[in-house]
Amino acid sequence: MTQVAVAGGLVVVAAVLSRIGRLGVERELVVAAVRAAVQLAAVGALIALVFEYAGLAAVFVALMLATATFTAGRRLAGVPDATLRSGLAIAAGTATGLGPLLVTGAFDTTPRELVPVAGILTGGAMVAASVTGRRLAEQAADELAVIETRLTLGVRVREALAPAVRRAAVTGLIPVIDQTKNVGLVTLPGTFVGLVLGGASPAEAARVQLVVLLSLLAVQVVAALAVARLVVAGLTAPGERVVPPTRPGPSRTAGSRPRWRRRP
Amino acid sequence: MAAPRIETQGVAVARGGRELLRGIDLRVDAGQVVAVAGPSGVGKSSLLRCLVRLDEPVAGRVLVDGSDAAELDPCALRRRIGLVAQAPVMLAGDVRANLAYGLEAAREEDLREALEATGLPPELHDRDARELSGGEAARVAVARALTRDPGALLLDEPTAALDRDSAAPIEALVRDLAERGLGVLVVTHDDAQAERLADERVEVRRP
Repeated sequence: MTQVAVAGGLVVVAAVLSRIGRLGVERELVVAAVRAAVQLAAVGALIALVFEYAGLAAVFVALMLATATFTAGRRLAGVPDATLRSGLAIAAGTATGLGPLLVTGAFDTTPRELVPVAGILTGGAMVAASVTGRRLAEQAADELAVIETRLTLGVRVREALAPAVRRAAVTGLIPVIDQTKNVGLVTLPGTFVGLVLGGASPAEAARVQLVVLLSLLAVQVVAALAVARLVVAGLTAPGERVVPPTRPGPSRTAGSRPRWRRRP
Repeated sequence: MAAPRIETQGVAVARGGRELLRGIDLRVDAGQVVAVAGPSGVGKSSLLRCLVRLDEPVAGRVLVDGSDAAELDPCALRRRIGLVAQAPVMLAGDVRANLAYGLEAAREEDLREALEATGLPPELHDRDARELSGGEAARVAVARALTRDPGALLLDEPTAALDRDSAAPIEALVRDLAERGLGVLVVTHDDAQAERLADERVEVRRP
Protein backbone atom coordinates (compact mmCIF):
# COMPACT_ATOMS: atom_id res chain seq x y z
CA MET A 1 0.00 0.00 0.00
CA THR A 2 2.92 2.35 0.73
CA GLN A 3 4.03 1.89 -2.89
CA VAL A 4 0.64 3.04 -4.24
CA ALA A 5 0.53 5.99 -1.81
CA VAL A 6 3.97 7.19 -2.93
CA ALA A 7 3.01 6.82 -6.61
CA GLY A 8 -0.26 8.68 -5.95
CA GLY A 9 1.74 11.47 -4.33
CA LEU A 10 3.84 11.72 -7.47
CA VAL A 11 0.66 12.23 -9.53
CA VAL A 12 -0.23 15.16 -7.25
CA VAL A 13 3.26 16.59 -7.85
CA ALA A 14 2.78 16.16 -11.63
CA ALA A 15 -0.59 17.94 -11.49
CA VAL A 16 0.87 20.85 -9.50
CA LEU A 17 3.76 21.14 -11.96
CA SER A 18 1.28 21.09 -14.87
CA ARG A 19 -0.55 23.98 -13.20
CA ILE A 20 2.63 25.98 -12.60
CA GLY A 21 3.85 25.25 -16.15
CA ARG A 22 0.40 26.22 -17.53
CA LEU A 23 0.11 22.94 -19.42
CA GLY A 24 -3.58 22.70 -18.58
CA VAL A 25 -3.54 18.88 -18.22
CA GLU A 26 -4.00 18.68 -14.42
CA ARG A 27 -7.48 17.26 -14.69
CA GLU A 28 -6.43 14.76 -17.34
CA LEU A 29 -3.50 13.57 -15.19
CA VAL A 30 -5.71 12.95 -12.19
CA VAL A 31 -8.44 11.28 -14.26
CA ALA A 32 -5.80 9.06 -15.93
CA ALA A 33 -4.39 8.06 -12.52
CA VAL A 34 -7.80 7.26 -11.02
CA ARG A 35 -8.82 5.33 -14.12
CA ALA A 36 -5.59 3.33 -14.04
CA ALA A 37 -6.21 2.40 -10.39
CA VAL A 38 -9.81 1.34 -10.96
CA GLN A 39 -9.06 -0.51 -14.20
CA LEU A 40 -6.06 -2.40 -12.81
CA ALA A 41 -8.05 -3.41 -9.73
CA ALA A 42 -10.87 -4.67 -11.97
CA VAL A 43 -8.49 -6.51 -14.31
CA GLY A 44 -6.74 -8.05 -11.30
CA ALA A 45 -10.07 -9.43 -10.15
CA LEU A 46 -11.25 -10.54 -13.60
CA ILE A 47 -8.13 -11.84 -15.29
CA ALA A 48 -8.30 -15.29 -13.74
CA LEU A 49 -11.80 -15.70 -15.18
CA VAL A 50 -10.77 -14.29 -18.56
CA PHE A 51 -7.89 -16.79 -18.78
CA GLU A 52 -10.34 -19.54 -17.96
CA TYR A 53 -13.06 -18.92 -20.59
CA ALA A 54 -12.32 -18.31 -24.29
CA GLY A 55 -15.62 -16.44 -24.81
CA LEU A 56 -14.78 -14.01 -22.06
CA ALA A 57 -11.30 -13.54 -23.55
CA ALA A 58 -12.83 -12.58 -26.92
CA VAL A 59 -15.03 -9.99 -25.20
CA PHE A 60 -11.99 -8.69 -23.35
CA VAL A 61 -9.96 -8.27 -26.57
CA ALA A 62 -12.93 -6.53 -28.24
CA LEU A 63 -13.17 -4.22 -25.23
CA MET A 64 -9.48 -3.38 -25.52
CA LEU A 65 -9.89 -2.51 -29.21
CA ALA A 66 -12.96 -0.37 -28.50
CA THR A 67 -11.26 1.51 -25.67
CA ALA A 68 -8.16 2.14 -27.81
CA THR A 69 -10.41 3.35 -30.64
CA PHE A 70 -12.30 5.86 -28.47
CA THR A 71 -9.12 7.07 -26.79
CA ALA A 72 -7.37 7.73 -30.11
CA GLY A 73 -10.60 9.13 -31.60
CA ARG A 74 -10.74 11.78 -28.87
CA ARG A 75 -7.19 12.82 -29.71
CA LEU A 76 -8.30 13.44 -33.30
CA ALA A 77 -11.20 15.69 -32.31
CA GLY A 78 -11.93 18.07 -35.17
CA VAL A 79 -11.33 15.46 -37.88
CA PRO A 80 -14.62 14.15 -39.36
CA ASP A 81 -15.48 10.59 -38.24
CA ALA A 82 -12.42 10.60 -35.99
CA THR A 83 -13.47 7.50 -34.05
CA LEU A 84 -14.08 5.40 -37.14
CA ARG A 85 -10.76 6.45 -38.67
CA SER A 86 -8.87 5.70 -35.42
CA GLY A 87 -10.54 2.31 -35.11
CA LEU A 88 -9.64 1.27 -38.65
CA ALA A 89 -6.01 2.33 -38.19
CA ILE A 90 -5.67 0.54 -34.83
CA ALA A 91 -7.32 -2.61 -36.19
CA ALA A 92 -5.02 -2.60 -39.24
CA GLY A 93 -1.93 -2.17 -37.05
CA THR A 94 -2.95 -4.80 -34.50
CA ALA A 95 -3.89 -7.34 -37.20
CA THR A 96 -0.52 -6.83 -38.90
CA GLY A 97 1.27 -8.03 -35.78
CA LEU A 98 -1.22 -10.46 -34.30
CA GLY A 99 -2.05 -12.33 -37.52
CA PRO A 100 1.41 -13.74 -38.29
CA LEU A 101 2.20 -14.41 -34.61
CA LEU A 102 -0.92 -16.54 -34.19
CA VAL A 103 -0.90 -18.20 -37.62
CA THR A 104 2.71 -19.37 -37.27
CA GLY A 105 2.08 -20.56 -33.74
CA ALA A 106 4.64 -18.14 -32.27
CA PHE A 107 1.99 -17.51 -29.63
CA ASP A 108 -0.78 -19.78 -28.56
CA THR A 109 -4.43 -18.85 -29.13
CA THR A 110 -5.20 -19.74 -25.52
CA PRO A 111 -6.57 -16.76 -23.58
CA ARG A 112 -3.50 -16.80 -21.31
CA GLU A 113 -1.24 -15.93 -24.28
CA LEU A 114 -3.66 -14.19 -26.64
CA VAL A 115 -5.00 -11.56 -24.22
CA PRO A 116 -1.65 -10.07 -23.08
CA VAL A 117 -0.12 -10.08 -26.58
CA ALA A 118 -3.24 -8.55 -28.18
CA GLY A 119 -3.24 -5.93 -25.40
CA ILE A 120 0.37 -4.93 -25.97
CA LEU A 121 -0.06 -4.71 -29.76
CA THR A 122 -3.35 -2.79 -29.53
CA GLY A 123 -1.78 -0.37 -27.05
CA GLY A 124 1.13 0.21 -29.43
CA ALA A 125 -1.20 0.79 -32.37
CA MET A 126 -3.25 3.21 -30.26
CA VAL A 127 -0.23 5.32 -29.33
CA ALA A 128 1.03 5.49 -32.92
CA ALA A 129 -2.43 6.35 -34.29
CA SER A 130 -3.15 8.99 -31.61
CA VAL A 131 0.15 10.81 -31.89
CA THR A 132 0.42 10.64 -35.69
CA GLY A 133 -3.21 11.57 -36.30
CA ARG A 134 -3.25 14.43 -33.83
CA ARG A 135 0.05 15.87 -35.03
CA LEU A 136 -1.19 15.70 -38.63
CA ALA A 137 -4.48 17.42 -37.78
CA GLU A 138 -2.61 20.14 -35.86
CA GLN A 139 -0.28 20.76 -38.77
CA ALA A 140 -3.17 20.91 -41.24
CA ALA A 141 -4.71 23.67 -39.10
CA ASP A 142 -1.46 25.54 -38.38
CA GLU A 143 0.01 25.34 -41.87
CA LEU A 144 -3.10 25.88 -43.94
CA ALA A 145 -1.53 28.79 -45.84
CA VAL A 146 1.44 26.63 -46.89
CA ILE A 147 -0.82 23.71 -47.83
CA GLU A 148 -3.09 25.94 -49.92
CA THR A 149 -0.05 27.48 -51.59
CA ARG A 150 0.95 23.99 -52.73
CA LEU A 151 -2.60 23.37 -53.95
CA THR A 152 -2.61 26.58 -56.00
CA LEU A 153 0.53 25.26 -57.70
CA GLY A 154 -1.54 22.39 -59.05
CA VAL A 155 -0.75 19.39 -56.81
CA ARG A 156 -3.30 17.07 -55.23
CA VAL A 157 -4.24 17.28 -51.55
CA ARG A 158 -2.30 14.10 -50.82
CA GLU A 159 0.89 15.63 -52.17
CA ALA A 160 0.23 18.99 -50.51
CA LEU A 161 -0.06 17.20 -47.15
CA ALA A 162 2.83 14.76 -47.75
CA PRO A 163 5.45 16.72 -45.74
CA ALA A 164 2.99 17.02 -42.81
CA VAL A 165 2.26 13.28 -43.02
CA ARG A 166 5.95 12.47 -42.94
CA ARG A 167 6.62 14.68 -39.90
CA ALA A 168 3.56 13.40 -38.05
CA ALA A 169 4.39 9.73 -38.66
CA VAL A 170 8.01 10.21 -37.58
CA THR A 171 6.82 11.90 -34.37
CA GLY A 172 4.39 9.02 -33.80
CA LEU A 173 7.09 6.40 -34.29
CA ILE A 174 9.97 7.92 -32.32
CA PRO A 175 8.91 6.30 -29.00
CA VAL A 176 8.76 2.73 -30.36
CA ILE A 177 12.00 3.12 -32.31
CA ASP A 178 13.84 4.52 -29.28
CA GLN A 179 12.31 1.92 -26.99
CA THR A 180 13.48 -0.88 -29.29
CA LYS A 181 16.96 0.62 -29.70
CA ASN A 182 17.47 1.09 -26.01
CA VAL A 183 15.81 -2.00 -24.60
CA GLY A 184 17.95 -3.52 -21.88
CA LEU A 185 20.15 -0.40 -21.76
CA VAL A 186 17.65 2.21 -20.62
CA THR A 187 14.41 0.30 -20.17
CA LEU A 188 13.39 -3.14 -18.99
CA PRO A 189 9.96 -3.47 -20.60
CA GLY A 190 6.91 -4.91 -18.87
CA THR A 191 6.77 -8.25 -20.65
CA PHE A 192 10.35 -9.09 -19.66
CA VAL A 193 9.94 -7.98 -16.07
CA GLY A 194 6.58 -9.72 -15.73
CA LEU A 195 7.84 -13.02 -17.07
CA VAL A 196 10.93 -12.99 -14.85
CA LEU A 197 8.84 -12.11 -11.78
CA GLY A 198 6.44 -14.88 -12.80
CA GLY A 199 9.23 -17.45 -12.71
CA ALA A 200 10.40 -17.66 -16.35
CA SER A 201 14.14 -17.84 -17.04
CA PRO A 202 15.69 -14.51 -18.13
CA ALA A 203 16.58 -16.06 -21.51
CA GLU A 204 12.99 -17.15 -22.11
CA ALA A 205 11.71 -13.72 -20.98
CA ALA A 206 14.16 -11.98 -23.32
CA ARG A 207 13.03 -14.10 -26.28
CA VAL A 208 9.35 -13.28 -25.75
CA GLN A 209 10.16 -9.61 -25.19
CA LEU A 210 12.13 -9.50 -28.45
CA VAL A 211 9.21 -11.01 -30.39
CA VAL A 212 6.85 -8.41 -28.91
CA LEU A 213 9.17 -5.48 -29.58
CA LEU A 214 9.89 -6.44 -33.18
CA SER A 215 6.20 -7.01 -33.87
CA LEU A 216 5.41 -3.60 -32.36
CA LEU A 217 7.65 -1.92 -34.96
CA ALA A 218 5.46 -3.26 -37.77
CA VAL A 219 2.22 -2.69 -35.84
CA GLN A 220 3.02 0.96 -35.18
CA VAL A 221 4.29 1.73 -38.68
CA VAL A 222 1.07 0.31 -40.13
CA ALA A 223 -1.13 2.15 -37.59
CA ALA A 224 0.70 5.46 -38.21
CA LEU A 225 0.53 5.20 -41.99
CA ALA A 226 -3.10 4.04 -41.92
CA VAL A 227 -4.25 6.84 -39.64
CA ALA A 228 -2.35 9.38 -41.74
CA ARG A 229 -4.03 8.10 -44.90
CA LEU A 230 -7.45 8.18 -43.24
CA VAL A 231 -6.98 11.67 -41.73
CA VAL A 232 -5.85 13.04 -45.11
CA ALA A 233 -9.00 11.55 -46.65
CA GLY A 234 -11.08 13.11 -43.86
CA LEU A 235 -9.59 16.56 -44.47
CA THR A 236 -10.03 16.39 -48.25
CA ALA A 237 -13.11 18.04 -49.74
CA PRO A 238 -14.34 17.58 -53.32
CA GLY A 239 -12.36 19.71 -55.77
CA GLU A 240 -8.96 18.94 -54.18
CA ARG A 241 -9.54 21.27 -51.26
CA VAL A 242 -8.49 20.98 -47.63
CA VAL A 243 -11.03 21.45 -44.87
CA PRO A 244 -8.89 22.14 -41.81
CA PRO A 245 -9.96 20.49 -38.55
CA THR A 246 -11.25 22.67 -35.78
CA ARG A 247 -8.21 23.16 -33.54
CA PRO A 248 -7.95 20.26 -31.07
CA GLY A 249 -7.29 20.86 -27.38
CA PRO A 250 -7.67 23.91 -25.13
CA SER A 251 -5.69 27.00 -26.10
CA ARG A 252 -5.77 28.57 -22.65
CA THR A 253 -6.24 27.02 -19.21
CA ALA A 254 -9.70 27.57 -17.82
CA GLY A 255 -10.01 30.63 -15.64
CA SER A 256 -6.85 32.34 -16.87
CA ARG A 257 -7.25 35.94 -17.97
CA PRO A 258 -5.78 37.48 -21.14
CA ARG A 259 -2.92 39.80 -20.16
CA TRP A 260 -4.27 42.75 -22.10
CA ARG A 261 -7.57 42.86 -20.24
CA ARG A 262 -7.73 45.51 -17.47
CA ARG A 263 -7.96 44.24 -13.91
CA PRO A 264 -11.45 44.78 -12.52
CA MET B 1 -0.49 27.83 -73.14
CA ALA B 2 -3.34 29.72 -74.82
CA ALA B 3 -4.90 32.22 -72.41
CA PRO B 4 -8.27 30.99 -71.17
CA ARG B 5 -11.25 33.29 -71.04
CA ILE B 6 -12.45 33.50 -67.44
CA GLU B 7 -16.05 34.49 -66.77
CA THR B 8 -18.23 34.65 -63.71
CA GLN B 9 -22.01 34.66 -63.99
CA GLY B 10 -23.92 35.89 -60.96
CA VAL B 11 -21.33 34.53 -58.54
CA ALA B 12 -21.95 34.90 -54.81
CA VAL B 13 -19.27 34.07 -52.26
CA ALA B 14 -19.50 33.48 -48.54
CA ARG B 15 -17.03 32.97 -45.71
CA GLY B 16 -17.91 31.27 -42.45
CA GLY B 17 -21.55 31.09 -43.53
CA ARG B 18 -21.75 34.86 -44.10
CA GLU B 19 -22.49 36.03 -47.64
CA LEU B 20 -19.91 38.58 -48.77
CA LEU B 21 -20.45 39.25 -52.44
CA ARG B 22 -23.33 38.46 -54.74
CA GLY B 23 -24.21 38.84 -58.40
CA ILE B 24 -20.64 39.21 -59.60
CA ASP B 25 -20.32 39.20 -63.40
CA LEU B 26 -16.88 39.68 -64.81
CA ARG B 27 -14.82 38.56 -67.75
CA VAL B 28 -11.07 38.38 -68.30
CA ASP B 29 -9.71 37.86 -71.81
CA ALA B 30 -6.20 37.17 -73.04
CA GLY B 31 -3.86 40.17 -72.81
CA GLN B 32 -6.24 42.09 -70.59
CA VAL B 33 -5.86 43.45 -67.07
CA VAL B 34 -9.12 43.49 -65.14
CA ALA B 35 -9.21 45.04 -61.67
CA VAL B 36 -11.67 44.07 -58.97
CA ALA B 37 -11.75 47.09 -56.68
CA GLY B 38 -13.52 47.52 -53.38
CA PRO B 39 -12.99 47.97 -49.66
CA SER B 40 -11.08 45.49 -47.49
CA GLY B 41 -13.04 42.57 -46.10
CA VAL B 42 -15.71 42.70 -48.78
CA GLY B 43 -14.85 39.26 -50.18
CA LYS B 44 -12.49 39.99 -53.05
CA SER B 45 -9.99 37.34 -51.97
CA SER B 46 -12.80 34.81 -51.54
CA LEU B 47 -13.86 35.57 -55.12
CA LEU B 48 -10.35 34.75 -56.39
CA ARG B 49 -10.35 31.53 -54.35
CA CYS B 50 -13.59 30.52 -56.07
CA LEU B 51 -12.04 31.05 -59.50
CA VAL B 52 -9.47 28.30 -58.80
CA ARG B 53 -11.87 26.18 -56.71
CA LEU B 54 -10.14 26.68 -53.35
CA ASP B 55 -13.68 27.66 -52.31
CA GLU B 56 -16.96 26.98 -54.05
CA PRO B 57 -19.29 29.90 -54.89
CA VAL B 58 -22.62 29.75 -53.02
CA ALA B 59 -24.42 30.87 -56.19
CA GLY B 60 -23.63 31.46 -59.85
CA ARG B 61 -21.06 29.86 -62.12
CA VAL B 62 -17.41 30.24 -62.98
CA LEU B 63 -16.67 29.51 -66.63
CA VAL B 64 -13.26 28.87 -68.13
CA ASP B 65 -13.32 28.97 -71.92
CA GLY B 66 -17.05 28.38 -71.66
CA SER B 67 -16.74 25.24 -69.47
CA ASP B 68 -18.07 25.20 -65.93
CA ALA B 69 -15.01 25.31 -63.64
CA ALA B 70 -16.77 22.95 -61.22
CA GLU B 71 -16.46 20.23 -63.87
CA LEU B 72 -12.78 20.77 -64.65
CA ASP B 73 -9.93 18.91 -62.97
CA PRO B 74 -8.98 21.27 -60.12
CA CYS B 75 -5.24 20.60 -60.41
CA ALA B 76 -5.18 21.28 -64.14
CA LEU B 77 -7.32 24.38 -63.57
CA ARG B 78 -4.86 25.73 -60.97
CA ARG B 79 -1.93 25.25 -63.31
CA ARG B 80 -3.80 27.04 -66.04
CA ILE B 81 -4.91 29.92 -63.83
CA GLY B 82 -2.21 30.90 -61.31
CA LEU B 83 -3.24 32.46 -58.01
CA VAL B 84 -0.75 34.67 -56.19
CA ALA B 85 -1.89 35.33 -52.63
CA GLN B 86 -1.78 38.69 -50.90
CA ALA B 87 1.00 37.54 -48.58
CA PRO B 88 2.70 34.91 -50.75
CA VAL B 89 3.97 31.93 -48.79
CA MET B 90 7.42 30.72 -49.71
CA LEU B 91 7.84 26.96 -49.40
CA ALA B 92 10.83 25.50 -47.56
CA GLY B 93 14.04 25.41 -49.59
CA ASP B 94 15.70 27.72 -52.07
CA VAL B 95 14.09 29.77 -54.83
CA ARG B 96 14.77 27.02 -57.37
CA ALA B 97 12.87 24.49 -55.25
CA ASN B 98 9.94 26.91 -55.06
CA LEU B 99 9.88 27.47 -58.81
CA ALA B 100 10.08 23.75 -59.56
CA TYR B 101 7.60 22.63 -56.88
CA GLY B 102 5.09 20.12 -58.20
CA LEU B 103 6.63 19.98 -61.68
CA GLU B 104 7.65 16.54 -62.88
CA ALA B 105 10.53 17.60 -65.07
CA ALA B 106 11.45 21.23 -64.55
CA ARG B 107 13.89 22.50 -67.15
CA GLU B 108 16.56 24.83 -65.80
CA GLU B 109 16.01 27.14 -68.77
CA ASP B 110 12.27 27.52 -68.00
CA LEU B 111 12.97 28.32 -64.37
CA ARG B 112 15.52 30.97 -65.33
CA GLU B 113 13.16 32.51 -67.88
CA ALA B 114 10.33 32.70 -65.35
CA LEU B 115 12.62 34.47 -62.90
CA GLU B 116 13.82 36.88 -65.59
CA ALA B 117 10.24 37.63 -66.68
CA THR B 118 9.59 38.96 -63.19
CA GLY B 119 12.76 41.07 -63.27
CA LEU B 120 14.77 38.95 -60.85
CA PRO B 121 18.41 37.96 -61.46
CA PRO B 122 19.29 34.26 -61.93
CA GLU B 123 21.64 34.45 -58.91
CA LEU B 124 18.52 34.44 -56.76
CA HIS B 125 18.00 30.75 -57.59
CA ASP B 126 20.12 29.52 -54.71
CA ARG B 127 18.83 31.93 -52.04
CA ASP B 128 16.73 30.55 -49.19
CA ALA B 129 13.20 31.49 -50.27
CA ARG B 130 12.14 32.29 -46.73
CA GLU B 131 14.81 34.98 -46.40
CA LEU B 132 13.64 37.07 -49.36
CA SER B 133 12.37 40.63 -48.93
CA GLY B 134 8.64 41.28 -49.40
CA GLY B 135 9.18 42.63 -52.92
CA GLU B 136 11.38 39.70 -53.94
CA ALA B 137 8.92 37.17 -52.49
CA ALA B 138 6.06 38.80 -54.41
CA ARG B 139 8.02 38.41 -57.66
CA VAL B 140 9.13 34.85 -56.91
CA ALA B 141 5.48 33.98 -56.25
CA VAL B 142 4.57 35.31 -59.70
CA ALA B 143 7.54 33.46 -61.26
CA ARG B 144 6.46 30.27 -59.46
CA ALA B 145 3.01 30.57 -61.03
CA LEU B 146 4.61 31.24 -64.44
CA THR B 147 6.64 27.99 -64.34
CA ARG B 148 3.32 26.14 -64.70
CA ASP B 149 2.86 27.90 -68.07
CA PRO B 150 -0.49 29.43 -67.11
CA GLY B 151 -2.77 31.34 -69.44
CA ALA B 152 -4.03 33.69 -66.74
CA LEU B 153 -2.92 35.03 -63.36
CA LEU B 154 -4.99 36.14 -60.39
CA LEU B 155 -3.12 38.61 -58.20
CA ASP B 156 -4.53 39.36 -54.75
CA GLU B 157 -3.49 42.84 -53.56
CA PRO B 158 -0.05 42.43 -55.18
CA THR B 159 1.38 45.60 -53.64
CA ALA B 160 -0.53 45.89 -50.36
CA ALA B 161 2.39 44.69 -48.27
CA LEU B 162 5.03 46.68 -50.14
CA ASP B 163 6.43 50.21 -49.83
CA ARG B 164 6.00 52.63 -52.73
CA ASP B 165 9.45 51.91 -54.20
CA SER B 166 8.75 48.17 -54.37
CA ALA B 167 5.16 48.62 -55.58
CA ALA B 168 5.89 50.52 -58.81
CA PRO B 169 7.94 47.70 -60.42
CA ILE B 170 5.21 45.18 -59.50
CA GLU B 171 2.63 47.32 -61.26
CA ALA B 172 4.93 47.47 -64.28
CA LEU B 173 5.21 43.68 -64.11
CA VAL B 174 1.42 43.32 -64.16
CA ARG B 175 1.19 45.35 -67.37
CA ASP B 176 4.11 43.41 -68.84
CA LEU B 177 2.41 40.07 -68.14
CA ALA B 178 -0.71 41.23 -70.00
CA GLU B 179 1.46 42.37 -72.90
CA ARG B 180 2.91 38.86 -73.01
CA GLY B 181 -0.66 37.69 -73.68
CA LEU B 182 -1.77 36.56 -70.23
CA GLY B 183 -5.16 37.46 -68.85
CA VAL B 184 -4.58 39.18 -65.49
CA LEU B 185 -7.15 39.71 -62.76
CA VAL B 186 -5.95 42.05 -60.01
CA VAL B 187 -7.76 42.52 -56.74
CA THR B 188 -7.08 45.84 -55.04
CA HIS B 189 -8.54 48.11 -52.40
CA ASP B 190 -6.68 51.03 -54.00
CA ASP B 191 -8.87 52.85 -56.55
CA ALA B 192 -5.93 54.78 -57.96
CA GLN B 193 -4.06 51.54 -58.59
CA ALA B 194 -7.08 50.04 -60.34
CA GLU B 195 -7.22 53.15 -62.48
CA ARG B 196 -3.51 52.97 -63.38
CA LEU B 197 -3.42 49.25 -64.14
CA ALA B 198 -6.68 48.04 -65.52
CA ASP B 199 -8.25 47.89 -68.95
CA GLU B 200 -11.51 47.21 -67.15
CA ARG B 201 -12.69 47.68 -63.59
CA VAL B 202 -15.28 45.85 -61.59
CA GLU B 203 -16.36 47.66 -58.43
CA VAL B 204 -17.57 45.49 -55.59
CA ARG B 205 -19.24 46.45 -52.33
CA ARG B 206 -21.05 44.75 -49.49
CA PRO B 207 -24.44 43.31 -50.47
